Amino acid sequence: MSRRVRLWLLALGGAGLAALLFAACLELPGFGGDRHPYGERAVRESLARRTANAVSSVNFDQRAFDTMGEMTILFAAVLGTVVLLRQTRDEHRAQPAPAHVAPPVRRYALITLPVALLVGLYVVAHGQLSPGGGFQGGVVAATALHLLYLGADYRALERVRPVGLYEVGDALGTSAYLVLGIAGVLAGTAFLANTLLPYGTFNTLSSGGTVPLLNAAVGMEVACAAVVLLARFLDQAVEIEENAVGTEESGE
Amino acid sequence: MNDMLIAVTLLLVAATATAAVAARDPVRQALVLAVLGVALALLFTVLQAPDVALSQLAVGSALTPLLLLLSVRKVRRRGRRKGRTE
Amino acid sequence: MNGWTVTATVALAGGGAAAVWGVATGPLRRRVVAQNLSTTLACPALLLLAQGYRRPSYVDVALVLALLGPIGTLVFARLLAEDLHEDPPIGLTLTWVAVAFSAAVVAAVCAATGPGRAMVKLLVTGALMISGSLVASRALARGMPKGGDRHE
Repeated sequence: MSRRVRLWLLALGGAGLAALLFAACLELPGFGGDRHPYGERAVRESLARRTANAVSSVNFDQRAFDTMGEMTILFAAVLGTVVLLRQTRDEHRAQPAPAHVAPPVRRYALITLPVALLVGLYVVAHGQLSPGGGFQGGVVAATALHLLYLGADYRALERVRPVGLYEVGDALGTSAYLVLGIAGVLAGTAFLANTLLPYGTFNTLSSGGTVPLLNAAVGMEVACAAVVLLARFLDQAVEIEENAVGTEESGE
Repeated sequence: MNDMLIAVTLLLVAATATAAVAARDPVRQALVLAVLGVALALLFTVLQAPDVALSQLAVGSALTPLLLLLSVRKVRRRGRRKGRTE
Repeated sequence: MNGWTVTATVALAGGGAAAVWGVATGPLRRRVVAQNLSTTLACPALLLLAQGYRRPSYVDVALVLALLGPIGTLVFARLLAEDLHEDPPIGLTLTWVAVAFSAAVVAAVCAATGPGRAMVKLLVTGALMISGSLVASRALARGMPKGGDRHE
């Protein structure tokens, strides 16, 4: 195909897409209206299952299967990163020298670290009650650990971060979600159906049936996945070096 | 007046996103992206979607800049080593 | 619409524009300060919105921002230490203004909430944001190791 034909094809496709999007926009309900057919049904269902946060109810109960897909995407992405960023034969590890961070920054990092971990756990645990949930809390907790790198140096972080354990945690979190789903099948209903546990009292920590458990599984998976992901990037940026004198091209 | 708030946050998002696309240097782009994350979180909160705002903040404010800057550092170190051996 | 959301709108229109302009133009040393300013300003704005919408649970968003915003700035301070060491950051005045604004907003929202667990959460958020913003400013101005991660 010549350049001209390709451009025409692009213009045609773009025009078609624009026309379809425009037609779709004409049929949209008005912005900020007070009638939401799907919203009304979703809220009714989430209240029936005593889940105060309707978004969590949609994510981990009514559409729990979709969330499983999203979680698997993260799992696969981290797996790919681990394979791509591994230490190859023509690379070696150089131990970074201890870094001297200004005392106020160091103090701030050490004081904030436990607070941030606690906030991460809080966000995971209150997923069925208030905004947040496994994903958000997991990322906060994983980020908190890296305050050790920012406030001290990479060695300090490595001491509290056995990557192998976090890889196991990542896999365990993913399988816990699947096991909870299969438990629904074994109990005689459907995959990931929220029928295993009593729904509890509305607006308390133990409400929403399996929603808090699924949140915990996702929280563990996401926290471990983020730690493993950052570990690979940090290894590459801080420790791993290529062996000297043009060995990098010899493998081709 | 609530529309005013939506308009202000939408304009902030549009301006920051344009700046993020226009920035050529990855380091500066990471900085603009961090601000874009905050602007998006504000927009989501204004549109009554705090769950999404939390996700955006969790990913956009520290994790993404860290990943981007670590990649930049690795590429720079590589360039420096290459320069030294040649 | 009430006084809380009006204040948030004004703060976001003024401070947000300054932060976006600062981060999108000029030298690196001003951009990092603008990034810190954006989080220092957004946190009180989120508190104002939570109060204005009468949704106490929205405070969680501000709490997470108060934690992660300064961590983000520390990331930039740490990994750009070499660039920032040569010409240290400028334009910290606006950060001080934003910190003062944060303190005022936390005080006002606390007064409106009254004593209780909600107030403790607000105070924690405010303390994290103010200390975080100041420490991040300090880190930007020569607080981080110059050589980054040098090897032995």
